[in-house]
Amino acid sequence: MNLFGPALGIVTLLVIGLGFVWVVRVERSLGYLWWPYFLAGGILLLGGSLFIASDWGSALAGLVGASLAWGATELKVQAIRAELGWYPFQGKKRRPPFAERIARWKAPNL
Amino acid sequence: MARNLLHLNPTGLAAGLAAFLGIWFGHVVVRAVERRSASIHLPAAAFLLAGLLLEAGAMLAPQPPLSAALGILGITAGWDALEFFRQQRRVMCGHAPANPSNPRHVRILAEHKAATTLDLLDRQPLGRPVTPEQAQALVSGQSQEAA
Repeated sequence: MNLFGPALGIVTLLVIGLGFVWVVRVERSLGYLWWPYFLAGGILLLGGSLFIASDWGSALAGLVGASLAWGATELKVQAIRAELGWYPFQGKKRRPPFAERIARWKAPNL
Repeated sequence: MARNLLHLNPTGLAAGLAAFLGIWFGHVVVRAVERRSASIHLPAAAFLLAGLLLEAGAMLAPQPPLSAALGILGITAGWDALEFFRQQRRVMCGHAPANPSNPRHVRILAEHKAATTLDLLDRQPLGRPVTPEQAQALVSGQSQEAA
Protein backbone atom coordinates (compact mmCIF):
# COMPACT_ATOMS: atom_id res chain seq x y z
CA MET A 1 0.00 0.00 0.00
CA ASN A 2 1.38 3.40 -1.04
CA LEU A 3 0.60 6.17 1.49
CA PHE A 4 2.59 8.83 -0.38
CA GLY A 5 -0.40 10.19 -2.33
CA PRO A 6 -2.90 10.34 0.58
CA ALA A 7 -0.26 11.94 2.85
CA LEU A 8 0.48 14.49 0.12
CA GLY A 9 -3.26 15.16 -0.10
CA ILE A 10 -3.28 16.15 3.59
CA VAL A 11 -0.28 18.42 2.97
CA THR A 12 -2.20 19.94 0.04
CA LEU A 13 -4.99 20.98 2.42
CA LEU A 14 -2.43 22.83 4.55
CA VAL A 15 -0.87 24.52 1.50
CA ILE A 16 -4.31 25.59 0.21
CA GLY A 17 -5.20 26.86 3.70
CA LEU A 18 -2.03 28.95 3.77
CA GLY A 19 -2.97 30.15 0.27
CA PHE A 20 -6.16 31.75 1.62
CA VAL A 21 -4.08 33.60 4.21
CA TRP A 22 -1.32 34.91 1.95
CA VAL A 23 -3.75 36.05 -0.77
CA VAL A 24 -5.62 38.19 1.79
CA ARG A 25 -2.41 39.62 3.28
CA VAL A 26 -0.62 40.23 -0.02
CA GLU A 27 -3.63 41.99 -1.53
CA ARG A 28 -4.06 44.12 1.58
CA SER A 29 -0.46 45.34 1.77
CA LEU A 30 0.76 45.10 -1.85
CA GLY A 31 -2.36 45.12 -4.04
CA TYR A 32 -3.55 42.89 -6.85
CA LEU A 33 -1.16 44.32 -9.47
CA TRP A 34 1.56 41.98 -8.16
CA TRP A 35 -0.24 39.03 -9.78
CA PRO A 36 2.27 38.51 -12.67
CA TYR A 37 5.14 38.16 -10.19
CA PHE A 38 3.33 35.51 -8.15
CA LEU A 39 2.26 33.70 -11.32
CA ALA A 40 5.83 33.70 -12.63
CA GLY A 41 7.16 32.57 -9.24
CA GLY A 42 4.67 29.71 -9.17
CA ILE A 43 5.56 28.56 -12.69
CA LEU A 44 9.30 28.75 -11.92
CA LEU A 45 8.82 26.71 -8.76
CA LEU A 46 6.74 24.16 -10.67
CA GLY A 47 9.46 23.86 -13.32
CA GLY A 48 12.17 23.77 -10.67
CA SER A 49 10.47 20.82 -8.97
CA LEU A 50 11.59 18.68 -11.93
CA PHE A 51 15.20 19.05 -10.77
CA ILE A 52 14.63 17.95 -7.16
CA ALA A 53 15.54 14.30 -6.76
CA SER A 54 13.57 13.66 -3.56
CA ASP A 55 9.91 12.82 -4.24
CA TRP A 56 8.74 14.73 -1.16
CA GLY A 57 10.89 17.75 -1.98
CA SER A 58 9.76 17.78 -5.60
CA ALA A 59 6.10 17.36 -4.62
CA LEU A 60 6.25 20.18 -2.06
CA ALA A 61 7.89 22.52 -4.57
CA GLY A 62 5.22 21.63 -7.15
CA LEU A 63 2.43 22.15 -4.62
CA VAL A 64 3.71 25.53 -3.43
CA GLY A 65 4.23 26.55 -7.08
CA ALA A 66 0.64 25.61 -7.90
CA SER A 67 -0.59 27.51 -4.83
CA LEU A 68 1.32 30.66 -5.88
CA ALA A 69 -0.08 30.42 -9.42
CA TRP A 70 -3.64 29.91 -8.16
CA GLY A 71 -3.28 32.71 -5.65
CA ALA A 72 -2.16 35.02 -8.46
CA THR A 73 -5.51 34.41 -10.16
CA GLU A 74 -7.37 35.23 -6.90
CA LEU A 75 -5.73 38.59 -6.15
CA LYS A 76 -8.03 40.69 -8.36
CA VAL A 77 -11.23 39.25 -6.86
CA GLN A 78 -9.76 39.65 -3.38
CA ALA A 79 -9.20 43.35 -4.13
CA ILE A 80 -12.91 43.68 -4.97
CA ARG A 81 -13.91 41.77 -1.81
CA ALA A 82 -11.91 44.28 0.24
CA GLU A 83 -13.55 47.21 -1.57
CA LEU A 84 -16.94 45.71 -0.71
CA GLY A 85 -15.99 45.58 2.98
CA TRP A 86 -15.95 41.77 3.15
CA TYR A 87 -12.29 42.06 4.22
CA PRO A 88 -10.40 45.00 5.77
CA PHE A 89 -9.52 47.59 3.11
CA GLN A 90 -6.16 49.34 2.99
CA GLY A 91 -5.83 52.09 0.41
CA LYS A 92 -2.08 52.59 0.59
CA LYS A 93 -0.39 49.80 -1.38
CA ARG A 94 3.21 49.16 -2.36
CA ARG A 95 3.04 49.26 -6.16
CA PRO A 96 5.01 46.66 -8.13
CA PRO A 97 7.64 47.42 -10.78
CA PHE A 98 5.92 48.19 -14.14
CA ALA A 99 2.60 48.81 -12.33
CA GLU A 100 1.25 51.07 -15.09
CA ARG A 101 1.90 48.45 -17.73
CA ILE A 102 0.44 45.62 -15.60
CA ALA A 103 -2.69 47.69 -14.92
CA ARG A 104 -3.42 47.62 -18.66
CA TRP A 105 -3.31 43.80 -18.73
CA LYS A 106 -6.39 41.73 -17.94
CA ALA A 107 -5.80 40.12 -14.55
CA PRO A 108 -6.61 36.40 -14.63
CA ASN A 109 -9.71 35.26 -12.80
CA LEU A 110 -10.57 31.60 -13.09
CA MET B 1 22.83 18.46 -19.73
CA ALA B 2 21.36 15.48 -21.58
CA ARG B 3 22.22 13.29 -18.60
CA ASN B 4 20.41 15.68 -16.22
CA LEU B 5 17.32 15.72 -18.41
CA LEU B 6 17.15 11.95 -18.13
CA HIS B 7 16.90 12.33 -14.35
CA LEU B 8 14.06 14.83 -14.19
CA ASN B 9 11.66 14.03 -11.35
CA PRO B 10 8.04 14.43 -12.56
CA THR B 11 6.53 14.05 -9.05
CA GLY B 12 6.39 17.79 -8.35
CA LEU B 13 4.95 18.58 -11.77
CA ALA B 14 2.27 15.91 -11.29
CA ALA B 15 1.49 17.23 -7.79
CA GLY B 16 1.40 20.86 -8.90
CA LEU B 17 -0.74 20.26 -11.97
CA ALA B 18 -3.14 18.03 -10.00
CA ALA B 19 -3.49 20.74 -7.32
CA PHE B 20 -3.99 23.62 -9.79
CA LEU B 21 -6.35 21.76 -12.12
CA GLY B 22 -8.19 20.09 -9.21
CA ILE B 23 -8.79 23.44 -7.50
CA TRP B 24 -9.84 25.07 -10.80
CA PHE B 25 -12.21 22.23 -11.70
CA GLY B 26 -13.78 22.23 -8.24
CA HIS B 27 -14.05 26.02 -8.19
CA VAL B 28 -16.00 26.06 -11.47
CA VAL B 29 -18.09 22.90 -11.04
CA VAL B 30 -19.17 23.54 -7.42
CA ARG B 31 -20.41 27.05 -8.34
CA ALA B 32 -22.20 25.81 -11.46
CA VAL B 33 -23.85 22.80 -9.79
CA GLU B 34 -24.79 24.69 -6.61
CA ARG B 35 -26.41 27.34 -8.81
CA ARG B 36 -28.54 24.87 -10.77
CA SER B 37 -29.21 21.95 -8.41
CA ALA B 38 -32.38 21.89 -6.30
CA SER B 39 -30.44 19.96 -3.63
CA ILE B 40 -26.76 20.15 -2.75
CA HIS B 41 -26.67 16.91 -0.73
CA LEU B 42 -26.51 14.54 -3.71
CA PRO B 43 -23.69 16.37 -5.54
CA ALA B 44 -21.79 16.76 -2.26
CA ALA B 45 -22.12 13.01 -1.62
CA ALA B 46 -20.94 12.30 -5.19
CA PHE B 47 -17.84 14.45 -4.71
CA LEU B 48 -17.12 12.80 -1.35
CA LEU B 49 -17.41 9.33 -2.93
CA ALA B 50 -15.17 10.39 -5.83
CA GLY B 51 -12.64 11.70 -3.31
CA LEU B 52 -12.60 8.39 -1.41
CA LEU B 53 -12.21 6.39 -4.66
CA LEU B 54 -9.34 8.65 -5.77
CA GLU B 55 -7.63 8.16 -2.38
CA ALA B 56 -8.00 4.38 -2.77
CA GLY B 57 -6.44 4.71 -6.21
CA ALA B 58 -3.58 6.75 -4.73
CA MET B 59 -2.86 3.97 -2.22
CA LEU B 60 -2.79 1.35 -4.97
CA ALA B 61 -0.69 3.38 -7.44
CA PRO B 62 2.91 2.09 -7.51
CA GLN B 63 4.57 5.20 -9.01
CA PRO B 64 5.01 8.35 -6.82
CA PRO B 65 3.81 10.83 -9.52
CA LEU B 66 0.55 8.91 -10.07
CA SER B 67 0.01 8.37 -6.34
CA ALA B 68 0.66 12.11 -5.74
CA ALA B 69 -1.79 13.22 -8.44
CA LEU B 70 -4.55 10.85 -7.29
CA GLY B 71 -4.02 11.70 -3.61
CA ILE B 72 -4.25 15.43 -4.29
CA LEU B 73 -7.26 15.11 -6.61
CA GLY B 74 -8.98 12.96 -3.96
CA ILE B 75 -8.46 15.53 -1.24
CA THR B 76 -9.61 18.41 -3.45
CA ALA B 77 -12.75 16.41 -4.42
CA GLY B 78 -13.44 15.80 -0.72
CA TRP B 79 -12.98 19.50 0.02
CA ASP B 80 -15.34 20.33 -2.85
CA ALA B 81 -18.05 18.28 -1.08
CA LEU B 82 -17.75 20.76 1.80
CA GLU B 83 -17.59 23.69 -0.63
CA PHE B 84 -21.20 23.05 -1.77
CA PHE B 85 -22.34 24.11 1.72
CA ARG B 86 -19.90 27.02 1.87
CA GLN B 87 -21.11 28.21 -1.55
CA GLN B 88 -24.73 28.07 -0.38
CA ARG B 89 -23.70 30.18 2.62
CA ARG B 90 -22.09 32.71 0.22
CA VAL B 91 -25.37 32.93 -1.70
CA MET B 92 -27.23 33.59 1.57
CA CYS B 93 -24.79 36.41 2.42
CA GLY B 94 -24.92 37.94 -1.09
CA HIS B 95 -21.28 37.02 -1.70
CA ALA B 96 -22.33 34.84 -4.65
CA PRO B 97 -25.31 35.43 -6.97
CA ALA B 98 -28.59 33.61 -6.37
CA ASN B 99 -30.35 31.93 -9.29
CA PRO B 100 -34.07 32.88 -9.36
CA SER B 101 -34.78 29.80 -11.51
CA ASN B 102 -33.61 27.49 -8.72
CA PRO B 103 -36.36 26.84 -6.08
CA ARG B 104 -33.75 26.51 -3.31
CA HIS B 105 -32.31 29.89 -4.23
CA VAL B 106 -35.80 31.40 -4.43
CA ARG B 107 -36.26 30.39 -0.76
CA ILE B 108 -32.85 31.89 0.08
CA LEU B 109 -33.81 35.15 -1.64
CA ALA B 110 -37.04 35.26 0.39
CA GLU B 111 -35.41 34.43 3.73
CA HIS B 112 -32.07 36.27 3.56
CA LYS B 113 -32.09 40.02 3.13
CA ALA B 114 -28.49 40.16 1.87
CA ALA B 115 -29.05 37.59 -0.90
CA THR B 116 -29.00 39.03 -4.42
CA THR B 117 -29.06 37.87 -8.03
CA LEU B 118 -26.14 40.20 -8.80
CA ASP B 119 -22.55 38.97 -8.95
CA LEU B 120 -20.92 41.78 -6.98
CA LEU B 121 -17.43 40.51 -7.86
CA ASP B 122 -17.90 40.72 -11.63
CA ARG B 123 -16.09 44.02 -12.24
CA GLN B 124 -12.65 45.63 -12.14
CA PRO B 125 -11.16 46.85 -8.82
CA LEU B 126 -11.49 50.63 -8.25
CA GLY B 127 -8.87 51.09 -5.53
CA ARG B 128 -11.35 52.56 -3.03
CA PRO B 129 -14.10 51.23 -0.74
CA VAL B 130 -17.63 51.19 -2.17
CA THR B 131 -20.99 51.34 -0.41
CA PRO B 132 -23.50 48.49 -0.89
CA GLU B 133 -25.55 50.76 -3.20
CA GLN B 134 -22.49 51.64 -5.29
CA ALA B 135 -21.51 47.96 -5.42
CA GLN B 136 -24.91 47.05 -6.86
CA ALA B 137 -24.86 49.96 -9.33
CA LEU B 138 -21.41 48.94 -10.58
CA VAL B 139 -22.70 45.53 -11.68
CA SER B 140 -26.41 46.24 -12.20
CA GLY B 141 -26.06 46.00 -15.98
CA GLN B 142 -25.50 42.27 -15.59
CA SER B 143 -28.71 41.58 -13.61
CA GLN B 144 -30.47 40.03 -16.60
CA GLU B 145 -27.44 37.87 -17.32
CA ALA B 146 -27.31 36.68 -13.70
CA ALA B 147 -30.99 35.76 -13.83
